[in-house]
Amino acid sequence: MDLIIGGAYQGKLEYARKRYGFDDNEIYTCTEAEGISFDRKCIYKSEEFAMWCVRNVIDAVDFLEEHRAEWKDCVFICEDIFCGVVPMGADMRAWREMTGRMCSYLSSNAEHVMRVFCGLEQVLK
Amino acid sequence: MNIFISGGNKNGKSGYAQDAAVKLAAGGKLYYVATMIPYDDEDRVRIDRHIENRAGMGFETIEAGRDIQKVFDTADESGTFLVDSTTALLLNEMFPNSYSEKADSEAAKRSIAGLLEIADRAANAVFVSDYIYSDAARYDEFTEEYRSSLASIDRALAERCDTVIEVCAGNLIVHKGILP
Repeated sequence: MDLIIGGAYQGKLEYARKRYGFDDNEIYTCTEAEGISFDRKCIYKSEEFAMWCVRNVIDAVDFLEEHRAEWKDCVFICEDIFCGVVPMGADMRAWREMTGRMCSYLSSNAEHVMRVFCGLEQVLK
Repeated sequence: MNIFISGGNKNGKSGYAQDAAVKLAAGGKLYYVATMIPYDDEDRVRIDRHIENRAGMGFETIEAGRDIQKVFDTADESGTFLVDSTTALLLNEMFPNSYSEKADSEAAKRSIAGLLEIADRAANAVFVSDYIYSDAARYDEFTEEYRSSLASIDRALAERCDTVIEVCAGNLIVHKGILP
């Protein structure tokens, strides 16, 4: 499993397409409403899965741990949402917290971790 | 040589960019391309602080709030150009008349064309942007348009420039190329 992280609009998905050769039907985009699915190679917008967890009172790390075997060969893409001020809304704070713990968990389990900055790769692990 | 600099606010990007531009100019023509159009006293104070910071460094200031490639109407291509910042340029291009009007949807495209023209024609250029992409918020449509537009400018410059630097608390993270 690999993890790609970076700020909004930095070119994370484009980077993944180039590095792994993913086409559209290999990419699953998480949503706040539907959560996550492990049947495609690339899991995009993991932060939206974390929001789904917040909305449904599910712990993202526990959920991923239960489904470990299903994502062990996947590439997760997650937006770095961790550098702003503490959000005013309780749900945004819970989202940030959930996404942060999820990223740390994914990062520690990942073989490679890359950050994308202005379209450029920075290898973190 | 072209350098693209980004990073969080108040981390020392402008200060480093000025030093880098002076070094690249090596005694030759040195231009400060001022992109900010002041709207109120707060803006004027910020501009005065920037002017004070670069006093005595040898910069000739060119005001270019929009249509940035027009710097070549007066400036010499063999010089070194410091463009600070792409953030202000984009804002001016999006709202040529007033903030209350609808944003110009061609603003990012026009900004990229102008900035890449500077990168291509100038002997040396240093571009400064702001990294505003890592906070936990659901923004309104206007803010998202601004963020995605600025990111498209950043990525075009990062691709074109020889060196890409992220400034963090005054420290330099070199993402591409070598330091001047």
